[in-house]
Amino acid sequence: MDLARYAELFRTEAREHLAGIDEALAALAGGSQGAGQSEAVDALFRATHTIKGMAGAMGYASVEQLAHAYESLLAAVREAALPADATLVTLCYEAADALAQHVDDAVDGIADRPVSSSLLERLASMADSIDGERVHRTTATWRVPSIDDLPGDDASDAPMRPDGDVPASTMEWVVATESARATRRSRVIVVALTADAPLKSVRAQIVLARLEALGTVQGTEPPLQSLSDLFDGECTISLDTSATDEELEAAVRSAGDIARVTVRDPVARRATKEVLRNVRIDLRHLDALLDLVGELVITRDRLLAVAEASGDRSVMAAAQETSRLISSLQEQILQARMVPVGQVFDRFPRMVRDVARELGKEVTFTMEGRDIALDRSMLDAIGDPIVHLLRNAIDHGIESAAQRAAVGKPDAGRLVLRAVRDRAAIVLEIEDDGRGMDRTALLARAIGEGRVDRHVSQLSDDDLIKLLAQPGFSTAEAVTAVSGRGVGIDVVANRVRALGGSMDIETVLGRGTIFSLRLPVTLAIVRALLVEVADSTYAVPSAHVIEAVEFDETARLTLRGREAICLREEVLPLVRMRRVFGEPNADDVDAQLLVVDAGGRRFACMVDALLGQQDIVVKAFDSVVGTEAMFSGATILGDGSPALIVDVGSLA
Amino acid sequence: MSRTVLICDDAIFMRTMVGDILQQAGFEIVGEAETGVQAVEKYRQLQPDLVTMDIVMPDMGGIDAVREITKNDPTARILMCSAMGQQALVVEAIQAGAKDFVVKPFQPSRVLEAVQRVLAA
Repeated sequence: MDLARYAELFRTEAREHLAGIDEALAALAGGSQGAGQSEAVDALFRATHTIKGMAGAMGYASVEQLAHAYESLLAAVREAALPADATLVTLCYEAADALAQHVDDAVDGIADRPVSSSLLERLASMADSIDGERVHRTTATWRVPSIDDLPGDDASDAPMRPDGDVPASTMEWVVATESARATRRSRVIVVALTADAPLKSVRAQIVLARLEALGTVQGTEPPLQSLSDLFDGECTISLDTSATDEELEAAVRSAGDIARVTVRDPVARRATKEVLRNVRIDLRHLDALLDLVGELVITRDRLLAVAEASGDRSVMAAAQETSRLISSLQEQILQARMVPVGQVFDRFPRMVRDVARELGKEVTFTMEGRDIALDRSMLDAIGDPIVHLLRNAIDHGIESAAQRAAVGKPDAGRLVLRAVRDRAAIVLEIEDDGRGMDRTALLARAIGEGRVDRHVSQLSDDDLIKLLAQPGFSTAEAVTAVSGRGVGIDVVANRVRALGGSMDIETVLGRGTIFSLRLPVTLAIVRALLVEVADSTYAVPSAHVIEAVEFDETARLTLRGREAICLREEVLPLVRMRRVFGEPNADDVDAQLLVVDAGGRRFACMVDALLGQQDIVVKAFDSVVGTEAMFSGATILGDGSPALIVDVGSLA
Repeated sequence: MSRTVLICDDAIFMRTMVGDILQQAGFEIVGEAETGVQAVEKYRQLQPDLVTMDIVMPDMGGIDAVREITKNDPTARILMCSAMGQQALVVEAIQAGAKDFVVKPFQPSRVLEAVQRVLAA
């Protein structure tokens, strides 16, 4: 059998399990106790076990060896049910790192690098010491069964076997009680009632009553006490039970009006969901699909125009129907590209932990909104900027424990990464409760460098972010209070802008800082306003456009040497696009103004003419190094001609 | 031997209708009750295999009757007969120990399904 063709699949799947390990370790490190801890340990055990099995199948000896050692440690931890201490968590992280590295090496065909013997020893000795402690407590020696002895995949359900030196009679008795105890386990039961079931919430109560006869109900989602007529007939019940899954399913079905029942393991929830509902698709196929549907969208607009021109009603009807279908197709494909931000977020807890440790800071890191979905390519692109902002927050924002104590803050700094859905946008916030930024010092420095007019007496949040986003602004030696907070912010700002988003900052000296990245939910297809400037067509994403008005020369004024326009008592900076694009003849007549909003900053863009609105497919655009990031991409218009997409944020 | 049923409803019409449905399905109607108090009393006397219970009845409501009956006999198989809009009451009845419910207007097939479930439980 040619194993090579499975290698990438192995890598993809191993990475999913590695991500699961990260997530579980984060829970463990976060101090989960009791059920939370045992769930995390179970999840770790499963993941390492699966990786071990997969590696065995591929013949990746070192991955298998390391996974085996890791798994043995976890088995000991699980059996001992001891609280996880820092040493254990640290070792687990180290093993996870090594495992990830070995997975990559193995797939990349790097000659089977031997596993660090020190790591293997430490894993084994920690497992031994945990075992020792447990044996000490229970005075019986149990061997965790090796995986190959286990029936099926569900290792946790297997009864523990004693080592040979326990007297047989005692042994049997203990085995019996052990297995009886072991078989009482948590199940998650998802029940869907038939659509026509009357009084669904009452039916749910009956389901609950039937399950209570078989075990202890731990909780329901939605909470069944609060069920009303609005209950849509699907609920999830967690149950501690010794009944088999079949018995549980039969019990639920006996309650009547049941459309579907699934019984599953609480830990395996995500995996089960994926197995049931998802197929794995190479991202390139999705990208290709998106490109194709993009072309279709363009063709659709042309088709509609032609159909309309033909004046033939049946042609028009057919074209409209086609158009509608293409829109649905487009929507579906965009939907298929959406992934929960958690997929990228899950690697952050450990990164934060590592960085904090490196810098000797104490940080409590929390993440919110992990389930919020974002376009896959957007999510990939935004990972690095977030890492950057998180690092910055730990390095420069959060003070040392001693400094914090001195100003009456808790020792551990608070760092929050939050995803929030806001209409058609996703806002990612990175919030710390650190020292904040010293506006006065920053202003002085900016004036000193000639970046800000020296008459400016105050920096608003907007001014601040613009300043920080300037390449080269702020290095550590000049402004100690902010200690290089701006380094690299320009890179982040550029990336966010290239994605069609914007960045904001809120900072209070001594209290902390919030960076907000506002991103469109999907980047591939956007509605745009087509404008003409000096005989060329440009696209301006509609999301930025507030309104379009005729240019009125009498409303024009000059403020501090800059052109502005007075519009309904609001004074907006005026940007002449001809000038921006380097056209010599910049003083247009009969011009149009687009009032645009770039992350809260409003201004008026002067263009020659408005050509109409259209969905455009954004083609990624590698801007040439050193040029101004004036365009965020390019697109092909309905008539087949290309147009550049204006990066509104760069004009501000 | 056919299964025995006690029908509790203050409306003769409803008792007749439920009785017909069950009789045609081979059940034996061993008694009828018009109030909750009667229901409790007749259950004690007759020990039927199944009870159909209206929720709103004079003297003692159906839910209290369920409580009384199941207090003495936790295995009692009681089927609640509810009108639309009595959701909260039905929930209460189920929590009090009723095994299932049917919603008026009755469809014979639905009633019989529910009865089978109650008897199988």
